[in-house]
Amino acid sequence: YRDLHTFELQAPTRLIEWVRGNRVCVAGYGQSDGNEILQLIPPPTLLTKETQGLCPERDFKVECGGFSERPVYSLKYVPDTSLLVTSGPPDSSLQVWQVSAEDSDVIKSVSTIATENGTGQSWAKIATISARAPWVLHGSTLDRVQITEVESRRNVYTAASRGSEELSTLAFLDCNTLLLCCATGRLCLADVRQPQSLVEALSVPSAPCSEQWCMGTRHGAQGLEPSSQPVARLSSRGLLTLTDLRKTSEFLALAKARVPSPGSEFLCVSWAPALEGYLAISGFDGTVHVYNTQSWDSSGREVEPVFVHKGHAFGGAGGSGDPPLVTVHTWHLQKPRTLLSAASDGSLHVWDWVEPCGKC
Amino acid sequence: GAGQDVGRSCILVSIAGKNVMLDCGMHMGYNDDRRFPDFSYITQNGRLTDFLDCVIISHFHLDHCGALPYFSEMVGYDGPIYMTHPTKAICPILLEDYRKITVDKKGETNFFTSQMIKDCMKKVVAVHLHQTVQVDEELEIKAYYAGHVLGAAMFQIKVGCESVVYTGDYNMTPDRHLGAAWIDKCRPDLLISESTYATTIRDSKRCRERDFLKKVHETVERGGKVLIPVFALGRAQELCILLETFWERMNLKAPIYFSTGLTEKANHYYKLFITWTNQKIRKTFVQRNMFEFKHIKAFDRAFADNPGPMVVFATPGMLHAGQSLQIFRKWAGNEKNMVIMPGYCVQGTVGHKILSGQRKLEMEGRQILEVKMQVEYMSFSAHADAKGIMQLIRQAEPRNVLLVHGEAKKMEFLKQKIEQEFHVSCFMPANGETTTILTNPCIPVDISLGLLKRETAIGPSADAKKPKLMHGSLLMKDNSFRLVSPEQALKELGLAEHQLRFTCRVHIQDPRKEHETVLRVYNHLKGILKDYSVQHLPDGSITVESILIQATAHSEDQGTKVLLVSWTYQDEELGSYLTSLLKKGLPQSTP
Repeated sequence: YRDLHTFELQAPTRLIEWVRGNRVCVAGYGQSDGNEILQLIPPPTLLTKETQGLCPERDFKVECGGFSERPVYSLKYVPDTSLLVTSGPPDSSLQVWQVSAEDSDVIKSVSTIATENGTGQSWAKIATISARAPWVLHGSTLDRVQITEVESRRNVYTAASRGSEELSTLAFLDCNTLLLCCATGRLCLADVRQPQSLVEALSVPSAPCSEQWCMGTRHGAQGLEPSSQPVARLSSRGLLTLTDLRKTSEFLALAKARVPSPGSEFLCVSWAPALEGYLAISGFDGTVHVYNTQSWDSSGREVEPVFVHKGHAFGGAGGSGDPPLVTVHTWHLQKPRTLLSAASDGSLHVWDWVEPCGKC
Repeated sequence: GAGQDVGRSCILVSIAGKNVMLDCGMHMGYNDDRRFPDFSYITQNGRLTDFLDCVIISHFHLDHCGALPYFSEMVGYDGPIYMTHPTKAICPILLEDYRKITVDKKGETNFFTSQMIKDCMKKVVAVHLHQTVQVDEELEIKAYYAGHVLGAAMFQIKVGCESVVYTGDYNMTPDRHLGAAWIDKCRPDLLISESTYATTIRDSKRCRERDFLKKVHETVERGGKVLIPVFALGRAQELCILLETFWERMNLKAPIYFSTGLTEKANHYYKLFITWTNQKIRKTFVQRNMFEFKHIKAFDRAFADNPGPMVVFATPGMLHAGQSLQIFRKWAGNEKNMVIMPGYCVQGTVGHKILSGQRKLEMEGRQILEVKMQVEYMSFSAHADAKGIMQLIRQAEPRNVLLVHGEAKKMEFLKQKIEQEFHVSCFMPANGETTTILTNPCIPVDISLGLLKRETAIGPSADAKKPKLMHGSLLMKDNSFRLVSPEQALKELGLAEHQLRFTCRVHIQDPRKEHETVLRVYNHLKGILKDYSVQHLPDGSITVESILIQATAHSEDQGTKVLLVSWTYQDEELGSYLTSLLKKGLPQSTP
C-alpha cells in the first residue's frame, strides 16, 4: 500500500457513489426503517492529487443526511441537479431526494416515481444522465425498463420487451444508448430513439449451476468514444468477460478469477477511470481484487490479480459471527490507484495500492 | 457561549429556582473581549454571587475554564466553583501559561493576573467521582467519568426530582491512557451534550498511529531529529507508550528523551490521580513506575546539540516559550529534522504560525528564523462522534436533549436522528438564546399503610411498572406531603364528617291510599330495576339500594300522592335516575 485509511460507519452500506465529483454518498440497507443516507465530504488528503502523510484533517465529514423508510440498495446522483434517486425493496419504485447543503444538512424526500408492480418484482436498478433533461433509467426486469424524467416524473421511453429476466446492472453509454445487463449474463444494447430495437451481445458461457452476473462500464477519459470502452461482465463463479460493443459477436477477452466461494448479491466489477485496462472485483469474501486486463485473451484461463485488498477481512471484533463481506467498491475519479470499499460490518476503507515489481 | 459556536463554552441553567453556570470558557480565536462569554446575559444589574448558586467546570481545557479568573475576579463572583481534583490541580497551570502568552508575548492589558488566578482557585471545591455533593439544602451535584482528558467529568445537577446532566467534552471509546465515559440510567429531564464531532467519521486510531510512527521512523532513519512539543499531561503519555512499544518491536536504537520537568510533574499527577486513568495504565503503574520506560530517558539541555537521530518530548505544547521553543530554534534550520504538533495551537504562538505555513519567523531581537525542518500535525484528541452521542443518550435515558458546541446547520440531521430514535425533544440554541424545557416533576408523597392496603385491594392486581389511580386525601403540613384515607384525615384534623342528603318530591296522580301507592311503586321499581336491591320495608317505605322512598298524601289534593325520594351525596347518580324514572309516572295496570 502507499496509503490506507480505515473508517467505521454507524451502519453498513452497499453503495459508494461519487456525487458532483467531490462528495461520496453511502446509505444503510438494514431491515428496519430508519436507514440513513449520508453525503460525506472526504478528507482533504483524498481530494488532492498528491498524498500527504500527516494532514490535520483525516476524517470524513457528514455534510448532510436523510432518513429512508426503506432499505437503500441503489443510489444515483442526477448530474447538474441537486437531486438523488434511490431504490430498494420491497418494490421497484424510486425515491427522489433533494440535497440543499447550504440551507440545512437534511436530505429531503421530494417525490416518488411509482412503477406498476407485477408479481415478484424486486427492487429497481438505476442509472442517471442529464443530457436532454435529468433522466433516470430504471427497471427491475428486462420487460420493465423505462426512462423517466426526474422532475416531471414523465415517462419518456419504454424499452421493448425481450424477456422477463431480472436485471442486474443498467447504464447509459451516451445520451442515446443504453446498456442492460441481466442477472443471467444477457447483455442488451438499446437506442432511445428506436424503442423497438434491442441488440444483443454474445451470451456468456453457460454454467451447470445457476450463476449471477453483473456489469461494469468505463466512463473513461475525455475524448474517448464511449462505445470503444470494453464492457466487463462478472459472474458469481468468478468468470470475467470483456466485450467490445463495436463487435458484440465475440469476446474481447475471457478470464477466470480465483474465488474462494461463489459470490453473493454484492457482486461488483468496475473499471479504473484513470488507469487504462485495470478493473476491480469484489463480493466473494472480505477482499477486493485488482486486475490488469491488458494481458488477457479469450481462452478463459485463470488470471492472477495485481493486488488484493484484505483489510476488511481483518477488521472488526474477532469471532463475532460471520466474517465481513465486501458489499461494494469504487475507484477514485482522479487518483489512479485509489479505491474505496465497504463491507457488511460497517467498515469503509480508502486505499492506494502500489503495483508490485515497481511498474508504477 | 458555545451555542452553535466552537470555543467559549458557558451555559446557564435555571432548575427549580436554582441557577447554575456550567463551564466558563475562552474563545481561542478572538483577541479582544469577544474571547470571553457575555456575562451580561446572566443578570444586568444584580451581583453574580447572589444570582448564581454555583459554577461547575468540566475539565481543564481553556475553552471550558479559560475565562474563569476573569469571571470570578474581574467581573466578580464569590460563590462556590466545583471541579474534579485533577482539574483543580491542572487548571491553574494552564491558565498561568495562557496568561503569560497573552500578556507577556502579546502585550495585552485587559487580562487577569497571576494573583487573580490564585484567588480564583481559592474559591474552588474539589469533588470525587460519583460523590453526591450538597451545594445547599436543595441543590446537589454529582460527577461522572467523561474520558477525554485527565479529570474530565460529566455533571448531574439535581434539585428535588428534576435533574440536568451536562457532559462537557467526553469520549465513548477508551484510548491508551483514559477510559470511556460512563453514566448510569439516571433519566435526567435534560441532557446537554457537545456535538462538535457529531458529523465526523474518524479515521481509525490504528491508521493515525501507524502514520505517526512512520513519520518518526523515516526521520530517525535518515539521521534527523524529531521534536514533539507536549503539555505535561494528556497525549504525551499515549505517544510515549506508543513509541516505546514500536521501538521495542523494531529494535530501534535512536534515543528518545522526555523533559525532566515533565517527567516529575507527570509522575506526580498520575500518582495523585491514578484512579482517573484506564485499567491498563493502573495495572502497569502498579508493576512499574509510569515513566520507567526502557527506551525513554530523561532529557538534558545539552543533548539537543548531540549529533545523530533522536526523538524529544518537551514542553510547552504550543512552542510559545521554554524548552520546546529552545530546541525548536536549534533544529529548525535542518530539513532532515521534523516537528510534530500533537494538538491545537493558540493564535500568536510559534506553533500556530508554523502550522499555518509560515516558514520565516521573527524572534526576539528582530532575528529571523528560517524553518527548514518538516512540520507535521497529528491530532489524537478524543471527542464523541454521532455514534458516541447516541450511546450516551441510550445510557442516561434523558427526557430531553440539548446540543451545544457545533455549527448551526450541521446539527439539524443529528437533531432529527435523536428525536426519531429516542422519541425525545432535541434543542439547539444559539448564543444568548434561552431554551425552556417543560418537565413533569414527580412529587413524592408518603402514603399511609392502611390506605395503600385498601386501595390495592380494589380492582385487578397492579403491574408494578404501570401507574395506578388511587383515591385519598392529601395532607400538606410544613414540608411534608401525606396521602391518607378521608376518615384518617378527618380524625387528624379534628373535623366531623358531614353527610349530605338530598330529598326530592315527585308528584303522582293516584287517588288510592298511601300504602297502595307504595305497593304500586314497589312493584314497578322491582320490575324495572332487576339488578338492584329493591325492598319494601314494614314501616311502609321502599329502599332501592340505600335510597329511601316514602309516600305521603298531598296536603291539599287527595288525588295526588307525593313521593319523597331521599339519597346521600354518594348515591347521586342512582338517585337522579330514580327521580326521573318516577317522574314519568306509574304504569296504568296495577297488580
